[in-house]
Amino acid sequence: MAAGTQARPSARSLSWRQFKAILRKDIVMELRTKEMVTSMGLYSLLTMVVYQIALSQSGSAFDPRQIAAGLLWLAFLFTSMLGLNRSLVHEQDQGCLEALLLAPVDRPVIFFAKAIGNLVFLLIVEVLTIPVFAFLFLQGGGYGGAWWMIPTVLTAGSIGIAGVGTLLATMSVNTNGKDFVLTVLMVPLMYPLLLAAVSATTAAVLGGDGSVDQFWAGMGGVAGYDVIMLLAAYALYEFVIGA
Amino acid sequence: MDPTNTEIYNLVLHDAPYVIAGYGVLWAALVVYVGMVLRRIMRLEKEVLILGESVARRSAE
Amino acid sequence: MKQLKVAIVLLVVGGLLTTAAFFMAFYTAEVQRFGTITVAEQLDTVIPLESVTADGFQYGRPWFSQKIFYFHVPVAEASFLVFGVAAFFAIRFLMTKKREYDTKSRMAMETSLIFVILTMITGMLWTRASWGIWWEWEPRLTTYFIMTLLMIAYFVLRNSIEDEERRATYGAVFAIIAVIDAPISFFITRLIPSSHPVVFQSGMASSNLVPFIVAQVGMLMVGYAIYTMRMGEEILSERVEAVKEALED
Repeated sequence: MAAGTQARPSARSLSWRQFKAILRKDIVMELRTKEMVTSMGLYSLLTMVVYQIALSQSGSAFDPRQIAAGLLWLAFLFTSMLGLNRSLVHEQDQGCLEALLLAPVDRPVIFFAKAIGNLVFLLIVEVLTIPVFAFLFLQGGGYGGAWWMIPTVLTAGSIGIAGVGTLLATMSVNTNGKDFVLTVLMVPLMYPLLLAAVSATTAAVLGGDGSVDQFWAGMGGVAGYDVIMLLAAYALYEFVIGA
Repeated sequence: MDPTNTEIYNLVLHDAPYVIAGYGVLWAALVVYVGMVLRRIMRLEKEVLILGESVARRSAE
Repeated sequence: MKQLKVAIVLLVVGGLLTTAAFFMAFYTAEVQRFGTITVAEQLDTVIPLESVTADGFQYGRPWFSQKIFYFHVPVAEASFLVFGVAAFFAIRFLMTKKREYDTKSRMAMETSLIFVILTMITGMLWTRASWGIWWEWEPRLTTYFIMTLLMIAYFVLRNSIEDEERRATYGAVFAIIAVIDAPISFFITRLIPSSHPVVFQSGMASSNLVPFIVAQVGMLMVGYAIYTMRMGEEILSERVEAVKEALED
Protein backbone atom coordinates (compact mmCIF):
# COMPACT_ATOMS: atom_id res chain seq x y z
CA MET A 1 0.00 0.00 0.00
CA ALA A 2 0.97 3.57 -0.49
CA ALA A 3 0.61 4.29 3.20
CA GLY A 4 4.31 5.11 3.44
CA THR A 5 3.96 8.36 1.54
CA GLN A 6 1.69 9.70 4.23
CA ALA A 7 3.30 9.89 7.63
CA ARG A 8 0.17 9.31 9.72
CA PRO A 9 -2.94 8.72 7.71
CA SER A 10 -5.98 9.81 9.66
CA ALA A 11 -8.26 7.02 10.79
CA ARG A 12 -10.98 8.22 8.50
CA SER A 13 -9.00 8.16 5.30
CA LEU A 14 -7.59 4.79 6.27
CA SER A 15 -11.08 3.37 6.68
CA TRP A 16 -12.09 4.91 3.39
CA ARG A 17 -9.13 3.28 1.62
CA GLN A 18 -9.89 -0.07 3.24
CA PHE A 19 -13.48 0.29 2.16
CA LYS A 20 -12.44 1.00 -1.43
CA ALA A 21 -10.00 -1.91 -1.41
CA ILE A 22 -12.62 -4.45 -0.35
CA LEU A 23 -15.18 -3.07 -2.77
CA ARG A 24 -12.66 -3.04 -5.61
CA LYS A 25 -11.73 -6.65 -4.88
CA ASP A 26 -15.38 -7.71 -5.29
CA ILE A 27 -15.86 -5.72 -8.47
CA VAL A 28 -12.59 -6.83 -10.06
CA MET A 29 -13.40 -10.43 -9.31
CA GLU A 30 -16.82 -9.98 -10.85
CA LEU A 31 -15.37 -8.30 -13.96
CA ARG A 32 -13.03 -11.23 -14.34
CA THR A 33 -15.54 -14.03 -13.87
CA LYS A 34 -18.87 -12.24 -14.55
CA GLU A 35 -20.34 -14.98 -12.42
CA MET A 36 -22.68 -13.02 -10.15
CA VAL A 37 -24.40 -10.91 -12.78
CA THR A 38 -24.73 -13.83 -15.17
CA SER A 39 -26.24 -16.16 -12.61
CA MET A 40 -28.50 -13.51 -11.09
CA GLY A 41 -29.60 -12.21 -14.49
CA LEU A 42 -30.35 -15.67 -15.79
CA TYR A 43 -32.24 -16.48 -12.60
CA SER A 44 -34.41 -13.41 -12.93
CA LEU A 45 -35.06 -14.21 -16.60
CA LEU A 46 -36.19 -17.68 -15.59
CA THR A 47 -38.46 -16.09 -13.00
CA MET A 48 -40.14 -14.22 -15.86
CA VAL A 49 -40.84 -17.54 -17.57
CA VAL A 50 -42.42 -18.83 -14.39
CA TYR A 51 -44.53 -15.66 -14.17
CA GLN A 52 -45.81 -16.38 -17.65
CA ILE A 53 -47.08 -19.73 -16.39
CA ALA A 54 -48.71 -18.05 -13.41
CA LEU A 55 -50.43 -15.48 -15.63
CA SER A 56 -51.24 -17.81 -18.50
CA GLN A 57 -54.86 -18.39 -17.42
CA SER A 58 -55.64 -14.83 -16.41
CA GLY A 59 -57.41 -13.91 -19.65
CA SER A 60 -57.20 -10.81 -21.78
CA ALA A 61 -59.27 -8.60 -19.46
CA PHE A 62 -56.64 -8.85 -16.77
CA ASP A 63 -54.30 -5.86 -16.49
CA PRO A 64 -50.82 -7.10 -15.49
CA ARG A 65 -49.90 -3.57 -14.44
CA GLN A 66 -51.93 -4.14 -11.26
CA ILE A 67 -49.50 -6.78 -10.03
CA ALA A 68 -46.39 -5.76 -11.97
CA ALA A 69 -44.72 -4.18 -8.94
CA GLY A 70 -45.28 -7.26 -6.83
CA LEU A 71 -43.90 -9.55 -9.52
CA LEU A 72 -40.85 -7.35 -9.98
CA TRP A 73 -39.98 -7.16 -6.30
CA LEU A 74 -40.54 -10.88 -5.95
CA ALA A 75 -38.00 -11.48 -8.71
CA PHE A 76 -35.57 -9.06 -7.04
CA LEU A 77 -35.98 -10.70 -3.65
CA PHE A 78 -35.21 -14.18 -4.90
CA THR A 79 -32.45 -13.01 -7.18
CA SER A 80 -30.85 -11.07 -4.36
CA MET A 81 -30.89 -14.13 -2.13
CA LEU A 82 -29.08 -16.10 -4.81
CA GLY A 83 -26.51 -13.33 -5.19
CA LEU A 84 -26.00 -12.73 -1.48
CA ASN A 85 -25.45 -16.40 -0.84
CA ARG A 86 -22.91 -16.62 -3.66
CA SER A 87 -21.09 -13.49 -2.64
CA LEU A 88 -20.53 -14.70 0.91
CA VAL A 89 -19.87 -18.33 -0.04
CA HIS A 90 -17.04 -17.09 -2.26
CA GLU A 91 -15.55 -15.15 0.60
CA GLN A 92 -15.65 -18.19 2.80
CA ASP A 93 -14.45 -20.79 0.31
CA GLN A 94 -11.37 -18.81 -0.52
CA GLY A 95 -10.61 -18.00 3.09
CA CYS A 96 -11.06 -14.37 2.21
CA LEU A 97 -13.22 -13.51 5.19
CA GLU A 98 -10.72 -14.97 7.62
CA ALA A 99 -7.91 -13.00 6.01
CA LEU A 100 -9.99 -9.85 6.27
CA LEU A 101 -10.58 -10.53 9.93
CA LEU A 102 -6.88 -11.00 10.57
CA ALA A 103 -6.13 -7.68 8.90
CA PRO A 104 -6.57 -4.61 11.08
CA VAL A 105 -9.75 -3.54 9.32
CA ASP A 106 -12.66 -2.03 11.21
CA ARG A 107 -15.61 -4.41 11.21
CA PRO A 108 -18.14 -1.78 10.05
CA VAL A 109 -15.90 -1.12 7.05
CA ILE A 110 -16.19 -4.77 6.04
CA PHE A 111 -19.95 -4.59 6.45
CA PHE A 112 -20.37 -1.45 4.34
CA ALA A 113 -17.99 -2.65 1.64
CA LYS A 114 -19.74 -6.00 1.29
CA ALA A 115 -23.18 -4.39 1.43
CA ILE A 116 -22.32 -1.80 -1.21
CA GLY A 117 -20.84 -4.51 -3.42
CA ASN A 118 -24.03 -6.54 -3.14
CA LEU A 119 -26.07 -3.40 -3.75
CA VAL A 120 -24.18 -2.67 -6.97
CA PHE A 121 -24.73 -6.16 -8.34
CA LEU A 122 -28.38 -6.11 -7.33
CA LEU A 123 -28.94 -2.75 -9.02
CA ILE A 124 -27.25 -3.95 -12.22
CA VAL A 125 -29.53 -6.98 -12.34
CA GLU A 126 -32.57 -4.82 -11.61
CA VAL A 127 -31.71 -2.42 -14.40
CA LEU A 128 -31.34 -5.39 -16.75
CA THR A 129 -34.55 -7.04 -15.56
CA ILE A 130 -36.97 -4.13 -15.75
CA PRO A 131 -36.84 -3.60 -19.54
CA VAL A 132 -37.21 -7.33 -20.10
CA PHE A 133 -40.16 -7.45 -17.73
CA ALA A 134 -41.78 -4.42 -19.36
CA PHE A 135 -41.20 -5.93 -22.80
CA LEU A 136 -42.69 -9.28 -21.85
CA PHE A 137 -45.63 -8.26 -19.69
CA LEU A 138 -46.46 -4.57 -19.91
CA GLN A 139 -46.83 -3.96 -23.62
CA GLY A 140 -49.84 -1.83 -24.36
CA GLY A 141 -50.19 -0.40 -20.87
CA GLY A 142 -48.70 3.01 -20.29
CA TYR A 143 -46.48 4.06 -17.43
CA GLY A 144 -48.41 6.38 -15.14
CA GLY A 145 -46.03 8.11 -12.76
CA ALA A 146 -43.14 10.50 -13.07
CA TRP A 147 -39.94 9.02 -14.50
CA TRP A 148 -37.88 9.43 -11.32
CA MET A 149 -40.26 7.41 -9.16
CA ILE A 150 -39.11 3.94 -10.20
CA PRO A 151 -35.35 4.61 -9.78
CA THR A 152 -35.98 6.19 -6.37
CA VAL A 153 -37.96 3.31 -4.93
CA LEU A 154 -35.68 0.79 -6.60
CA THR A 155 -32.57 2.28 -5.01
CA ALA A 156 -34.13 2.71 -1.58
CA GLY A 157 -35.55 -0.80 -1.57
CA SER A 158 -32.31 -2.34 -2.80
CA ILE A 159 -30.36 -0.59 -0.04
CA GLY A 160 -32.54 -2.35 2.51
CA ILE A 161 -32.26 -5.72 0.76
CA ALA A 162 -28.47 -5.46 0.38
CA GLY A 163 -27.85 -4.17 3.92
CA VAL A 164 -29.95 -6.65 5.83
CA GLY A 165 -29.15 -9.37 3.32
CA THR A 166 -25.41 -8.96 3.86
CA LEU A 167 -25.83 -9.44 7.60
CA LEU A 168 -28.08 -12.47 7.16
CA ALA A 169 -25.92 -14.04 4.46
CA THR A 170 -22.84 -13.67 6.65
CA MET A 171 -24.69 -15.69 9.26
CA SER A 172 -26.20 -18.24 6.90
CA VAL A 173 -22.93 -19.19 5.15
CA ASN A 174 -21.71 -20.48 8.49
CA THR A 175 -24.69 -22.78 8.97
CA ASN A 176 -25.37 -26.27 7.69
CA GLY A 177 -28.19 -25.32 5.38
CA LYS A 178 -26.67 -22.21 3.78
CA ASP A 179 -29.19 -21.02 1.19
CA PHE A 180 -32.20 -22.59 2.86
CA VAL A 181 -31.40 -20.81 6.12
CA LEU A 182 -30.95 -17.55 4.24
CA THR A 183 -34.42 -17.90 2.72
CA VAL A 184 -36.02 -18.70 6.06
CA LEU A 185 -34.37 -15.71 7.74
CA MET A 186 -34.71 -13.26 4.90
CA VAL A 187 -38.26 -13.54 3.61
CA PRO A 188 -40.06 -12.69 6.87
CA LEU A 189 -37.54 -9.97 7.74
CA MET A 190 -37.97 -8.39 4.32
CA TYR A 191 -41.74 -8.37 4.55
CA PRO A 192 -42.29 -4.76 5.73
CA LEU A 193 -39.80 -3.42 3.19
CA LEU A 194 -41.32 -5.34 0.29
CA LEU A 195 -44.85 -4.32 1.23
CA ALA A 196 -43.93 -0.64 1.28
CA ALA A 197 -41.80 -0.89 -1.86
CA VAL A 198 -44.54 -2.70 -3.78
CA SER A 199 -47.05 -0.05 -2.72
CA ALA A 200 -44.78 2.76 -3.90
CA THR A 201 -43.89 0.97 -7.14
CA THR A 202 -47.52 0.22 -7.93
CA ALA A 203 -48.35 3.90 -7.46
CA ALA A 204 -45.54 4.77 -9.85
CA VAL A 205 -46.64 2.26 -12.48
CA LEU A 206 -50.35 3.03 -12.39
CA GLY A 207 -50.24 6.77 -11.80
CA GLY A 208 -53.53 8.62 -11.54
CA ASP A 209 -55.16 10.48 -8.67
CA GLY A 210 -53.51 10.12 -5.30
CA SER A 211 -50.65 8.08 -6.70
CA VAL A 212 -48.07 10.64 -5.58
CA ASP A 213 -49.38 10.45 -2.00
CA GLN A 214 -49.35 6.67 -2.09
CA PHE A 215 -45.84 6.75 -3.54
CA TRP A 216 -44.49 8.94 -0.74
CA ALA A 217 -46.31 6.90 1.91
CA GLY A 218 -44.65 3.79 0.55
CA MET A 219 -41.31 5.56 0.32
CA GLY A 220 -41.69 6.63 3.94
CA GLY A 221 -42.09 2.99 4.89
CA VAL A 222 -39.07 1.97 2.82
CA ALA A 223 -36.92 4.78 4.21
CA GLY A 224 -37.94 4.05 7.81
CA TYR A 225 -37.16 0.36 7.32
CA ASP A 226 -33.79 1.20 5.76
CA VAL A 227 -32.76 3.49 8.58
CA ILE A 228 -33.82 1.17 11.43
CA MET A 229 -32.61 -2.05 9.85
CA LEU A 230 -29.31 -0.67 8.59
CA LEU A 231 -28.53 0.77 12.01
CA ALA A 232 -29.35 -2.58 13.60
CA ALA A 233 -27.35 -4.49 10.99
CA TYR A 234 -24.40 -2.10 11.34
CA ALA A 235 -24.39 -2.47 15.12
CA LEU A 236 -24.75 -6.25 15.04
CA TYR A 237 -22.34 -7.08 12.22
CA GLU A 238 -19.35 -6.93 14.51
CA PHE A 239 -20.75 -9.77 16.63
CA VAL A 240 -21.66 -11.87 13.61
CA ILE A 241 -18.31 -11.61 11.94
CA GLY A 242 -16.42 -12.16 15.16
CA ALA A 243 -18.16 -15.40 16.05
CA MET B 1 -89.04 -22.24 23.39
CA ASP B 2 -90.33 -18.75 23.08
CA PRO B 3 -90.16 -18.17 19.32
CA THR B 4 -89.08 -14.55 19.70
CA ASN B 5 -85.96 -15.66 21.52
CA THR B 6 -84.87 -17.74 18.56
CA GLU B 7 -82.92 -15.02 16.82
CA ILE B 8 -80.87 -14.18 19.87
CA TYR B 9 -80.19 -17.83 20.62
CA ASN B 10 -79.19 -18.35 17.01
CA LEU B 11 -76.76 -15.48 17.23
CA VAL B 12 -75.19 -16.89 20.35
CA LEU B 13 -75.23 -20.52 19.26
CA HIS B 14 -73.59 -19.70 15.96
CA ASP B 15 -70.54 -18.38 17.78
CA ALA B 16 -70.54 -20.90 20.62
CA PRO B 17 -68.54 -23.72 18.97
CA TYR B 18 -65.72 -21.35 18.10
CA VAL B 19 -65.61 -19.86 21.58
CA ILE B 20 -65.60 -23.30 23.16
CA ALA B 21 -62.96 -24.51 20.74
CA GLY B 22 -60.88 -21.41 21.45
CA TYR B 23 -60.77 -22.01 25.18
CA GLY B 24 -60.46 -25.76 24.77
CA VAL B 25 -57.49 -25.63 22.42
CA LEU B 26 -55.72 -23.10 24.60
CA TRP B 27 -56.08 -25.14 27.77
CA ALA B 28 -55.32 -28.46 26.10
CA ALA B 29 -52.19 -27.11 24.43
CA LEU B 30 -50.85 -25.63 27.65
CA VAL B 31 -51.59 -28.78 29.63
CA VAL B 32 -49.96 -31.01 27.02
CA TYR B 33 -46.89 -28.81 26.81
CA VAL B 34 -46.44 -28.54 30.57
CA GLY B 35 -46.98 -32.30 30.87
CA MET B 36 -44.27 -32.92 28.30
CA VAL B 37 -41.80 -30.67 30.11
CA LEU B 38 -42.60 -32.22 33.50
CA ARG B 39 -42.09 -35.72 32.11
CA ARG B 40 -38.74 -34.74 30.67
CA ILE B 41 -37.72 -33.21 34.00
CA MET B 42 -38.75 -36.37 35.87
CA ARG B 43 -36.73 -38.53 33.50
CA LEU B 44 -33.73 -36.27 33.97
CA GLU B 45 -34.02 -36.47 37.74
CA LYS B 46 -34.13 -40.23 37.55
CA GLU B 47 -31.00 -40.09 35.44
CA VAL B 48 -29.32 -37.87 38.03
CA LEU B 49 -30.10 -40.49 40.69
CA ILE B 50 -28.65 -43.32 38.63
CA LEU B 51 -25.57 -41.30 37.81
CA GLY B 52 -25.13 -40.40 41.47
CA GLU B 53 -25.21 -44.09 42.37
CA SER B 54 -22.61 -44.98 39.80
CA VAL B 55 -20.39 -42.13 40.97
CA ALA B 56 -20.71 -43.42 44.55
CA ARG B 57 -19.92 -46.96 43.42
CA ARG B 58 -16.87 -45.82 41.53
CA SER B 59 -15.52 -43.80 44.42
CA ALA B 60 -16.02 -46.83 46.71
CA GLU B 61 -13.90 -49.01 44.45
CA MET C 1 -35.18 -28.05 42.95
CA LYS C 2 -36.39 -24.77 44.36
CA GLN C 3 -36.91 -23.41 40.88
CA LEU C 4 -39.26 -26.21 39.95
CA LYS C 5 -41.31 -25.64 43.06
CA VAL C 6 -41.66 -21.95 42.24
CA ALA C 7 -42.66 -22.88 38.73
CA ILE C 8 -45.33 -25.30 39.89
CA VAL C 9 -46.74 -22.82 42.41
CA LEU C 10 -46.88 -20.14 39.72
CA LEU C 11 -48.44 -22.58 37.31
CA VAL C 12 -51.18 -23.46 39.78
CA VAL C 13 -51.86 -19.83 40.70
CA GLY C 14 -51.81 -18.77 37.06
CA GLY C 15 -54.11 -21.65 36.19
CA LEU C 16 -56.53 -20.66 38.93
CA LEU C 17 -56.50 -17.03 37.85
CA THR C 18 -57.12 -17.82 34.20
CA THR C 19 -59.87 -20.24 35.19
CA ALA C 20 -61.42 -17.54 37.37
CA ALA C 21 -61.23 -15.16 34.43
CA PHE C 22 -62.88 -17.80 32.28
CA PHE C 23 -65.88 -18.00 34.61
CA MET C 24 -66.03 -14.25 35.05
CA ALA C 25 -66.03 -13.82 31.29
CA PHE C 26 -69.24 -15.79 31.08
CA TYR C 27 -70.96 -14.93 34.37
CA THR C 28 -70.10 -11.37 35.33
CA ALA C 29 -68.73 -9.71 32.21
CA GLU C 30 -71.21 -7.64 30.29
CA VAL C 31 -72.18 -9.08 26.93
CA GLN C 32 -70.63 -6.88 24.28
CA ARG C 33 -72.95 -5.74 21.56
CA PHE C 34 -72.65 -4.55 18.06
CA GLY C 35 -75.63 -3.15 16.23
CA THR C 36 -79.16 -3.86 17.33
CA ILE C 37 -81.86 -6.37 16.56
CA THR C 38 -85.56 -5.64 16.73
CA VAL C 39 -88.08 -8.23 17.84
CA ALA C 40 -91.84 -8.05 18.15
CA GLU C 41 -92.21 -9.18 21.74
CA GLN C 42 -90.26 -8.34 24.83
CA LEU C 43 -87.61 -10.95 25.55
CA ASP C 44 -86.46 -12.59 28.70
CA THR C 45 -82.69 -12.50 28.11
CA VAL C 46 -79.50 -11.32 29.73
CA ILE C 47 -79.18 -8.77 26.99
CA PRO C 48 -80.46 -5.41 28.15
CA LEU C 49 -83.30 -3.73 26.35
CA GLU C 50 -82.00 -0.72 24.47
CA SER C 51 -85.18 1.06 23.44
CA VAL C 52 -88.76 0.51 22.40
CA THR C 53 -89.47 1.72 18.89
CA ALA C 54 -92.47 1.65 16.63
CA ASP C 55 -91.28 -1.68 15.18
CA GLY C 56 -90.95 -3.36 18.51
CA PHE C 57 -88.33 -3.95 21.15
CA GLN C 58 -84.76 -3.15 20.29
CA TYR C 59 -81.93 -5.14 21.82
CA GLY C 60 -78.20 -4.86 21.39
CA ARG C 61 -77.02 -7.56 19.06
CA PRO C 62 -75.13 -9.93 21.36
CA TRP C 63 -71.56 -10.47 20.31
CA PHE C 64 -70.83 -13.85 21.76
CA SER C 65 -67.59 -14.49 19.88
CA GLN C 66 -66.13 -11.52 21.75
CA LYS C 67 -65.80 -13.89 24.73
CA ILE C 68 -62.59 -15.20 23.15
CA PHE C 69 -61.13 -11.78 23.96
CA TYR C 70 -60.53 -12.74 27.61
CA PHE C 71 -58.00 -15.35 26.58
CA HIS C 72 -56.88 -14.20 23.17
CA VAL C 73 -55.70 -10.74 24.16
CA PRO C 74 -53.89 -11.74 27.39
CA VAL C 75 -52.00 -14.50 25.61
CA ALA C 76 -51.17 -12.16 22.72
CA GLU C 77 -49.87 -9.41 24.97
CA ALA C 78 -47.91 -11.95 26.99
CA SER C 79 -46.36 -13.17 23.74
CA PHE C 80 -45.19 -9.64 22.84
CA LEU C 81 -43.80 -9.12 26.32
CA VAL C 82 -41.95 -12.44 26.44
CA PHE C 83 -40.55 -11.81 22.96
CA GLY C 84 -39.22 -8.52 24.31
CA VAL C 85 -37.67 -10.37 27.25
CA ALA C 86 -36.00 -12.78 24.83
CA ALA C 87 -34.52 -9.86 22.90
CA PHE C 88 -33.42 -8.23 26.15
CA PHE C 89 -31.52 -11.36 27.17
CA ALA C 90 -30.09 -11.52 23.65
CA ILE C 91 -28.67 -8.02 24.13
CA ARG C 92 -27.34 -9.02 27.54
CA PHE C 93 -25.68 -12.03 25.95
CA LEU C 94 -23.94 -9.96 23.29
CA MET C 95 -22.74 -7.55 25.97
CA THR C 96 -21.45 -10.12 28.43
CA LYS C 97 -20.96 -13.29 26.35
CA LYS C 98 -22.22 -15.30 29.31
CA ARG C 99 -23.85 -18.54 28.32
CA GLU C 100 -26.66 -18.30 30.84
CA TYR C 101 -28.11 -15.30 29.01
CA ASP C 102 -28.19 -17.26 25.79
CA THR C 103 -30.11 -20.06 27.50
CA LYS C 104 -32.49 -17.52 29.03
CA SER C 105 -33.05 -15.86 25.68
CA ARG C 106 -33.77 -19.19 24.02
CA MET C 107 -36.20 -20.26 26.74
CA ALA C 108 -38.04 -16.95 26.59
CA MET C 109 -38.25 -17.31 22.83
CA GLU C 110 -39.69 -20.79 23.19
CA THR C 111 -42.30 -19.59 25.70
CA SER C 112 -43.17 -16.74 23.40
CA LEU C 113 -43.51 -19.10 20.44
CA ILE C 114 -46.02 -21.20 22.35
CA PHE C 115 -48.02 -18.09 23.21
CA VAL C 116 -47.83 -16.88 19.63
CA ILE C 117 -49.19 -20.17 18.33
CA LEU C 118 -52.00 -20.09 20.90
CA THR C 119 -52.80 -16.51 19.89
CA MET C 120 -52.95 -17.53 16.25
CA ILE C 121 -55.30 -20.43 17.00
CA THR C 122 -57.70 -18.45 19.22
CA GLY C 123 -57.49 -15.54 16.80
CA MET C 124 -58.40 -17.70 13.84
CA LEU C 125 -61.38 -19.16 15.69
CA TRP C 126 -62.55 -15.66 16.51
CA THR C 127 -62.05 -14.54 12.91
CA ARG C 128 -64.16 -17.45 11.74
CA ALA C 129 -66.94 -16.70 14.21
CA SER C 130 -66.94 -12.96 13.78
CA TRP C 131 -65.94 -12.34 10.17
CA GLY C 132 -67.05 -15.67 8.75
CA ILE C 133 -63.61 -16.53 7.37
CA TRP C 134 -60.63 -18.34 8.81
CA TRP C 135 -57.96 -15.96 7.65
CA GLU C 136 -57.64 -12.56 6.10
CA TRP C 137 -54.51 -10.75 4.94
CA GLU C 138 -55.15 -7.86 7.19
CA PRO C 139 -52.33 -5.71 8.72
CA ARG C 140 -52.46 -7.06 12.26
CA LEU C 141 -52.89 -10.68 11.23
CA THR C 142 -50.18 -10.41 8.62
CA THR C 143 -47.55 -8.77 10.82
CA TYR C 144 -48.32 -11.24 13.58
CA PHE C 145 -47.95 -14.12 11.15
CA ILE C 146 -44.60 -12.67 10.09
CA MET C 147 -43.60 -12.55 13.75
CA THR C 148 -44.43 -16.25 14.06
CA LEU C 149 -42.29 -17.00 11.02
CA LEU C 150 -39.42 -14.99 12.49
CA MET C 151 -39.56 -17.02 15.70
CA ILE C 152 -39.58 -20.26 13.75
CA ALA C 153 -36.64 -18.93 11.72
CA TYR C 154 -34.80 -18.27 14.98
CA PHE C 155 -34.99 -21.94 15.88
CA VAL C 156 -34.15 -23.06 12.33
CA LEU C 157 -31.05 -20.87 12.49
CA ARG C 158 -30.00 -22.25 15.85
CA ASN C 159 -30.52 -25.85 14.83
CA SER C 160 -28.37 -25.49 11.75
CA ILE C 161 -25.26 -24.36 13.64
CA GLU C 162 -23.06 -26.82 15.48
CA ASP C 163 -20.50 -24.55 17.09
CA GLU C 164 -21.94 -23.54 20.44
CA GLU C 165 -20.61 -20.02 20.71
CA ARG C 166 -21.50 -19.18 17.16
CA ARG C 167 -24.99 -20.58 17.63
CA ALA C 168 -25.51 -18.38 20.65
CA THR C 169 -24.20 -15.25 18.95
CA TYR C 170 -26.15 -15.70 15.73
CA GLY C 171 -29.29 -16.53 17.68
CA ALA C 172 -28.93 -13.37 19.75
CA VAL C 173 -28.29 -11.22 16.67
CA PHE C 174 -31.31 -12.61 14.90
CA ALA C 175 -33.51 -12.25 17.99
CA ILE C 176 -32.63 -8.56 18.20
CA ILE C 177 -33.32 -7.93 14.52
CA ALA C 178 -36.54 -9.96 14.63
CA VAL C 179 -37.95 -8.14 17.64
CA ILE C 180 -38.31 -5.01 15.52
CA ASP C 181 -41.42 -6.61 14.05
CA ALA C 182 -43.12 -6.87 17.46
CA PRO C 183 -43.82 -3.14 17.96
CA ILE C 184 -44.85 -2.88 14.30
CA SER C 185 -47.39 -5.64 14.83
CA PHE C 186 -48.53 -4.18 18.13
CA PHE C 187 -49.13 -0.63 16.93
CA ILE C 188 -50.18 -1.29 13.36
CA THR C 189 -53.91 -1.38 14.14
CA ARG C 190 -53.58 2.12 15.53
CA LEU C 191 -51.61 3.43 12.56
CA ILE C 192 -53.29 2.18 9.43
CA PRO C 193 -56.90 1.20 8.85
CA SER C 194 -57.43 -2.37 9.90
CA SER C 195 -60.48 -4.49 10.54
CA HIS C 196 -58.90 -5.98 13.64
CA PRO C 197 -60.51 -4.44 16.73
CA VAL C 198 -58.39 -2.04 18.75
CA VAL C 199 -58.90 -2.58 22.44
CA PHE C 200 -58.61 0.20 25.01
CA GLN C 201 -59.25 2.91 22.48
CA SER C 202 -62.80 3.57 23.51
CA GLY C 203 -62.49 2.27 27.06
CA MET C 204 -64.12 -0.77 28.59
CA ALA C 205 -66.75 -1.39 31.23
CA SER C 206 -65.19 -2.47 34.52
CA SER C 207 -67.09 -5.76 34.39
CA ASN C 208 -65.13 -6.49 31.21
CA LEU C 209 -61.87 -5.03 32.38
CA VAL C 210 -61.63 -7.09 35.59
CA PRO C 211 -61.71 -10.54 33.98
CA PHE C 212 -59.32 -9.29 31.36
CA ILE C 213 -56.79 -8.11 33.93
CA VAL C 214 -57.18 -11.32 35.95
CA ALA C 215 -56.58 -13.37 32.81
CA GLN C 216 -53.61 -11.20 31.85
CA VAL C 217 -51.94 -11.63 35.24
CA GLY C 218 -52.67 -15.34 35.20
CA MET C 219 -51.29 -15.72 31.70
CA LEU C 220 -48.08 -13.90 32.61
CA MET C 221 -47.71 -16.24 35.59
CA VAL C 222 -48.21 -19.26 33.36
CA GLY C 223 -45.63 -17.80 31.00
CA TYR C 224 -43.12 -17.26 33.76
CA ALA C 225 -43.80 -20.75 35.08
CA ILE C 226 -43.17 -22.30 31.67
CA TYR C 227 -39.99 -20.28 31.33
CA THR C 228 -38.75 -21.30 34.80
CA MET C 229 -39.60 -24.94 34.19
CA ARG C 230 -37.72 -25.00 30.92
CA MET C 231 -34.77 -23.29 32.59
CA GLY C 232 -34.80 -25.92 35.35
CA GLU C 233 -34.90 -28.67 32.77
CA GLU C 234 -32.02 -27.12 30.87
CA ILE C 235 -29.84 -26.77 33.96
CA LEU C 236 -30.64 -30.34 34.96
CA SER C 237 -29.77 -31.75 31.55
CA GLU C 238 -26.54 -29.76 31.47
CA ARG C 239 -25.59 -31.26 34.81
CA VAL C 240 -26.43 -34.77 33.61
CA GLU C 241 -24.24 -34.24 30.55
CA ALA C 242 -21.38 -32.98 32.70
CA VAL C 243 -21.58 -35.95 35.07
CA LYS C 244 -21.75 -38.37 32.15
CA GLU C 245 -18.64 -36.86 30.66
CA ALA C 246 -16.84 -37.00 33.99
CA LEU C 247 -17.78 -40.68 34.36
CA GLU C 248 -16.44 -41.56 30.92
CA ASP C 249 -13.01 -40.17 31.73
